[in-house]
Order: sequence, then structure tokens, then C-alpha cells
Amino acid sequence: MLLFRDEGHATNWRTQHQVTEAGRMSLETGWRLARTWYTDKRGPNWRRSSLEDAEALFARLGLTGDFWRLRS
Amino acid sequence: MPTDADLDRDVRVAFYTRLIESGTAPSTGDLAAALNVEPAAVFASFQRLGAARTLVLEPGDSARVRMANPFSCIPTPFAVTAAGRQWWGNCIWDSLGIAAFLGSDATIECTCGDCGQPMSVAIRDGQAHGSGVIQFGVPALHWWDDIVYT
Repeated sequence: MLLFRDEGHATNWRTQHQVTEAGRMSLETGWRLARTWYTDKRGPNWRRSSLEDAEALFARLGLTGDFWRLRS
Repeated sequence: MPTDADLDRDVRVAFYTRLIESGTAPSTGDLAAALNVEPAAVFASFQRLGAARTLVLEPGDSARVRMANPFSCIPTPFAVTAAGRQWWGNCIWDSLGIAAFLGSDATIECTCGDCGQPMSVAIRDGQAHGSGVIQFGVPALHWWDDIVYT
């Protein structure tokens, strides 16, 4: 997962690396994703997110569609 | 008698605690001494934590941790300054994750994935400041096919 200056640079990278599928999000959405994913990981009661939890988080953040699908 | 799950929890917590305290990844020996168990027990726990995707073990040397997400245990192009230290993120998501994990303000220094121009993101008082767009090049279903590449 890389950071690009803008959509044009992200598209350039995708073209140059012949990446057929890509998912994009804003910096703010990435921050919201990171906060939910990692805030509690150092605690003794942390549990890895279930598929259902991860799917619900992605949906809340608008990360929908085939690229963000977590199960086949 | 502690179960494997108990030991895995203790190894995870001790790993992160020592990483945060010292800024470097603890060895199996460090953790064994801290937890008063045999190094072989920590090694076995590493294998379970790796299988569970809680830790990512070094390819070719599963006694060492490559990634304790969000932290990278080796230098990467994502330098994160937070809580008085410099850390390495595995990617932009994990770099943001270091700020979340530490509950700290942070500054992320990286480069545009396309042109290499330096970029900076700041986390201040729980808000992200900066510009740019995050792009994932691997569909979510395949992130763990090769997590180091992802």
C-alpha cells in the first residue's frame, strides 16, 4: 500500500506496473482504517478481527466492491 | 499449566512491549528470559503467531520477526517519528497504524510511489494532515498470498 501525490501519479504507477486491479482511498480514510485496525493490538485482550468484523469495517469506510472482498 | 493460547498472548504482549521500550525487536532469548520459559517455547509460539498472521516471520529464519504489524523490524521507505523514536512502517496503512498503536502524534516521511518525490503526513491530536492518495495494488483476498510484497 503506497502513497501517491495524486490520482494521476497513482494511475501512472498502475500502468507502469501493469496492475490490473487497484483500490484507492483518501488519507483520511486510511487513517480511520488504521485507527480501527491497530489501536488495541498491544493489549492482552486483543483478538484478530473476524472476517465479519473486517467486512463491516470496510463497508463503513466505503471500501466496497470486488477489490475489497475478503472471502472467495 | 498455561495453554499455548496463554503463551501466545504473553509472547505477543511482551514482544510489543519490548519493541516499544527499546525500539528494536526482541529475540526469542529475550522473550524467554522475560517470560521465564524456554527459548524453544517462544520459538514454537512464534510459529503459531506466524500461522495466525499475528506476526510475520523472517523468510528463511523463523526465529526472527520481520513484521509485527504495524511495525517493520527492518528499515523500509516509510519512516515514522512518534513517541520519541523513529519506527519503520511496512506500508502507508501500517505507518498510520503506528500512530494509532502508540496513541501518539506522529510524522510519516515517505516518497510518492510513482515519482519518488518526498511526502510527509502528520498525525496531530488524532487528525491526519497531509495530501495524497493511498493505493492498494493487490486485492484484499490476496493480501496474505505474499504479505511482504503486499
